[in-house]
Amino acid sequence: MAEENGSNFRQFRDGVIGNNPVLVQLLGMCPTLAVTNTLENALVMGAAVTFVLVMSNLVTSLLRHQIKPHVRILVFTLTIATFVTIADLVLKANMYEVSKKLGPFVPLIIVNCIIICRAEVVAIKNGLARSLADAFGMGLGFTTALSILGAIREILGSGSLTLPGGATSLKLVQLPAAFEPHAWIIMVLPPGAFLTLGVVIGIVNQLRYRKVKGGAA
Amino acid sequence: MSFGALIGIFLGVALVNNMVLAGFMGICPFLGVSRKVDMAVGMGCAVTFVMTVSGVVTWLLVHAVLTPIGAAFGNPEALYFLKYVIFIMVIASMVQLVEMYLRKFFPSLYTAFGVFLPLITTNCAILGACLLIDMKPEYQNLLNATVFAFGGGIGFMMAITIMAGIREHIRFSDVPRCLQGPGITLLMAGMLALAFMGFTGIGK
Repeated sequence: MAEENGSNFRQFRDGVIGNNPVLVQLLGMCPTLAVTNTLENALVMGAAVTFVLVMSNLVTSLLRHQIKPHVRILVFTLTIATFVTIADLVLKANMYEVSKKLGPFVPLIIVNCIIICRAEVVAIKNGLARSLADAFGMGLGFTTALSILGAIREILGSGSLTLPGGATSLKLVQLPAAFEPHAWIIMVLPPGAFLTLGVVIGIVNQLRYRKVKGGAA
Repeated sequence: MSFGALIGIFLGVALVNNMVLAGFMGICPFLGVSRKVDMAVGMGCAVTFVMTVSGVVTWLLVHAVLTPIGAAFGNPEALYFLKYVIFIMVIASMVQLVEMYLRKFFPSLYTAFGVFLPLITTNCAILGACLLIDMKPEYQNLLNATVFAFGGGIGFMMAITIMAGIREHIRFSDVPRCLQGPGITLLMAGMLALAFMGFTGIGK
């Protein structure tokens, strides 16, 4: 039993660090690039994807003995589409402003490769505990990667990092005022997304090579 | 609706708001199938076809099926929660059609695409085009919606072909090891996006 828990924990940790869906597996690129212009958008998107991922892994894992192999992709897609509809309606009802900013990218979670990939690789073959551990790990890994990109782009693009929340608005980072006139507006525009992600992936690769080299020595 | 306005829509979605470089849709095939120019063109054609047909079919389903049935029960928007499920079903069947056609008439292209052909289903550009047509009021008109979907496909084909051309050349360059593969591709995509920003203002 202890071993079982250990492997579940490893499954969770792999999703966040070793096998991060965005930075290592390069899945789910579209929302990664599109909604990371501010930290707030990145966090909301991460939460929505985590919710859909957890629910779709849960349903797939429970139904894994009933699903016939040749219709499995169809079942996955319909499950995901259902939960995305729920997430979209909840966002529209409670966080209308953010939902408007995310635009078509909330419904586009349906075609996010991470979710269908986890259903196919893990949930259809494994029990509930393991599938849930995997979903939470991958969801957290996705949210972390998006937040890193969102933070970098917001700081360089506007000179500060804020978590808006009405009266409890939280200013996390403020670059010196001298930076303000030279803020890289390009970072919050489309090209900034590609450039930031390219550089971050380069850094992650460099760290991985160094780790492999260190392990061999 | 004048002819000029249609050209404006076409240029708008193909150049100014290019789905890949400004809208971030269809990034997976953009990074995955852009190694060779001929494959990129084939992929672009398949996506353009699927996008145009699904754009038209989903428009018809929303305006000629969901809305009247909803209206019959008193609220035209009553069945709109079914939209996403219907969109993805239409796209999946269109991709199946293209797959069957290619396997019969272009077997070499079919084997070259491999796993990327069924993956057109999860190409966000296609679902994205259907969703944008559905969200924006100016595409209430079927002709506008068709031109938008076709322009989106052409824009995708242009972006992926340009990318494939650059990547064929960069094979012989000395890229730092940590940036090889996706890293350098994303950096080049960033510069392409910068170039496409120069189109801002056309068609207005």
